[in-house]
Amino acid sequence: MTTINMVLCGLGGQGILFMTKVLSQAALRKNYPVIGAETHGMAQRGGSVVSHLRLGDVQGSLVQTGAAQVVLALEENESYRNLPFVAQGGDLFVNTSSPHFPREEAKAFLLRHKIHWHGVPASAIALSMGAPLSSNLALLGFFSAFGEDPFSHDDLRAVILETSPDRFREKNLTVFDAAFEKGMEEQRN
Amino acid sequence: MKQEVFLGNGAIALGLLEAGCQVVTSYPGTPSSEILPEVIRLVKSENLNTYVEWSTNEKVALDNAFAASVAGKRAACCMKQVGLNVAADSLMSAAYIGTKGALVIISCDDPGPHSSQTEQDTRFMARLAKVPVLDPSTPEEARRMVGFAMDLSEEFRIPVILRPAIRVCHARQGLLYGNLERNEKKGAFEKDPMRWAATPRFRLILHGELNRKLREIAKRFESLSEYNYHTLEPGKRYALGIVAGGVPYAVVRDILKEQNREDIPVLKIATPFPFPEGLALPFMEACDRVLVIEETDTLMEYLLRDREKVLGRLSGHVPQEGELVPQVIDGVLSRTLKELNLEPLKAGEDPDVMDLVNSLNLPVRRPTLCPGCPHRAAFFAIRKSKPKAIFTSDIGCYTLGLNLGAVDTCLDMGAAITMASGFYHAFSQDGVDQPIVATIGDSTFFHSGTAGLVNAVYNGARFILVILDNLTTAMTGMQPTPALGIRADGSQGKAVSLERIVAGCGVDFIEVLDPYDLKKMDEVLKNASEYVHEPEGGIAVVIARHPCLIAYKQDAVPDRKKVVITDECAECNFCIERFECPAIYHDQELGRTNINNQLCTGCGVCLSICPKGAIVEAA
Repeated sequence: MTTINMVLCGLGGQGILFMTKVLSQAALRKNYPVIGAETHGMAQRGGSVVSHLRLGDVQGSLVQTGAAQVVLALEENESYRNLPFVAQGGDLFVNTSSPHFPREEAKAFLLRHKIHWHGVPASAIALSMGAPLSSNLALLGFFSAFGEDPFSHDDLRAVILETSPDRFREKNLTVFDAAFEKGMEEQRN
Repeated sequence: MKQEVFLGNGAIALGLLEAGCQVVTSYPGTPSSEILPEVIRLVKSENLNTYVEWSTNEKVALDNAFAASVAGKRAACCMKQVGLNVAADSLMSAAYIGTKGALVIISCDDPGPHSSQTEQDTRFMARLAKVPVLDPSTPEEARRMVGFAMDLSEEFRIPVILRPAIRVCHARQGLLYGNLERNEKKGAFEKDPMRWAATPRFRLILHGELNRKLREIAKRFESLSEYNYHTLEPGKRYALGIVAGGVPYAVVRDILKEQNREDIPVLKIATPFPFPEGLALPFMEACDRVLVIEETDTLMEYLLRDREKVLGRLSGHVPQEGELVPQVIDGVLSRTLKELNLEPLKAGEDPDVMDLVNSLNLPVRRPTLCPGCPHRAAFFAIRKSKPKAIFTSDIGCYTLGLNLGAVDTCLDMGAAITMASGFYHAFSQDGVDQPIVATIGDSTFFHSGTAGLVNAVYNGARFILVILDNLTTAMTGMQPTPALGIRADGSQGKAVSLERIVAGCGVDFIEVLDPYDLKKMDEVLKNASEYVHEPEGGIAVVIARHPCLIAYKQDAVPDRKKVVITDECAECNFCIERFECPAIYHDQELGRTNINNQLCTGCGVCLSICPKGAIVEAA
């Protein structure tokens, strides 16, 4: 198989580790060899946080620059900071409600490298569902509309169902599904 | 068999228990902190009998594990790389004395550094102590190596170090595992004072014994084909070969595979000390040049003695500092191939992309104290009360008091106190009355505070020491401290009172308060300052006690206040700059300072900081 490389980024406290966990569990359930890298320690106190995830016959846990087919960003500026990772023809999913996304300077780069960008109002979706801290699940839900095996909507949903703590399970799924619908809308357009 | 995505530290924990490890001690520190909790998780889920403890520091942890191994048990001790400095005294001696049961020291390196004071290389500590060191490339390899390390340690009666770097510790990998079994081996102590209490005369004999062990282990490593191997084809000559180990090996292997350049031979060494020279020599002979890619320093590069042939950090081919991430290694390989007129690698990233990112003026994200963090309140009060003081501080979340201008120094664990006494004497020698306020966390105080405090009291230093007591070890992931009496596995131990320790160190001024009460804090700091200057005065200790909001969640703020900013706000930015709460921000759209209610914890400390009184409680 070709190696699948993903980079997840955002700020400390936004739940990037949980997203990484869901994606890696989903890959494992489908028997993909999975390895990834996380940020712990001081950066978790509000600094830039990045997670890497790799599926395939690889040993290194870090994605090389220019090699990530998918980048999921929970914050717009962090998406720009991690632009060097996005591969030619890759997909960039960014939590933003800004009408100015992507910034003009970045747009030329994205077009030149045939990168598909998706502005996802993940925080807005999460807030409207009464779960302001669940932007991560909203971004995952939106992404799942585009995700293929092992990251299809059903794949990811099953893991969220299984790994969410009891008191958050229902809410997590509601946010995830609502964002999935948004993603499907974009898919159709 | 069960399948699970393990954190690298979890894979190490799994390896420990698969190897029947009976005792695991640790002091938390990134990137090692999750090993012990993962051990505990598996001990509980698999109903094992392994003894675990959070020790008060790394030296204490190592001594405890060493004793277990002397009693014939299988023991391990986990720490971060700078923790091994603290345990160095114990390590050096234990290498000579030797063990009986297995003793594996897991010392986690932090190339980057991401969350450490230094980028030091544990492999050099192993070389210094003369103990074998294993350098895993992946979580799966680390897991297997733990068992090998246990066997090796037991066979040769020598401590063995496992050195996983951060990209092993904090990698995640899917692993299969079966049932874990209890190791019921009973402890026994055989008296042998010439070994266990050896005097210098016997130490010379033990040193000779240690050297013999190392020679035998080096031979063993030469045929350790599970971890050490090369990809030479017999009889073939090569213009360039690569020697790599640890995480950089995994990266090199992936790059060569990805680029279809497996024509470049690689010698993988997972046991850099004692160095398996018999394996390296044929590789050196077959290659005109050898590029060494290792983290973090130059151990193998030194050990491969041919300076003409060997390229690496000493020859300027590999960066001397910073992490060897894939794009850095890709660059090293590309430049070296080009220099030797060999076929280059295919270019990966767009070379302009970094210029683009730099041109976007992205905000610098410095880590900050959490909203509602009691340390913020304490630092704000300290800075306000003693603006001219030297602020010595220490290792923990509260190093971020830097952002509030209330931290001037951070050297190592416990140095808040020792540097404060050092500063005191340096200035008092000149007849200068230099105010000094030291800040240290509760766990750091238990780790390394008391010796420095006894020294400061005994030698007549005068300063204010604020112990920032948030009732947990916050930075490394909320491990309990001795003051709580909760032990590593959640069981109840005996609580050790911070106040009584401070009093026992000879301190006569001790005040305990809640730093959320800024007025009280200000008043106590004034009294403390007076005490420091009294003829009979000395060191004043203020224990600023309030639970960490991450560890204690809602319980940490029982009386939540809804905060708003009134039109009295002069947009002076005092609150944003000097208080630096993530919940107070400048709203671009409204053009004014505002409260982010999603981040605000309702701690209410900011209600008394605004010079205009514009931060008020909502009606």
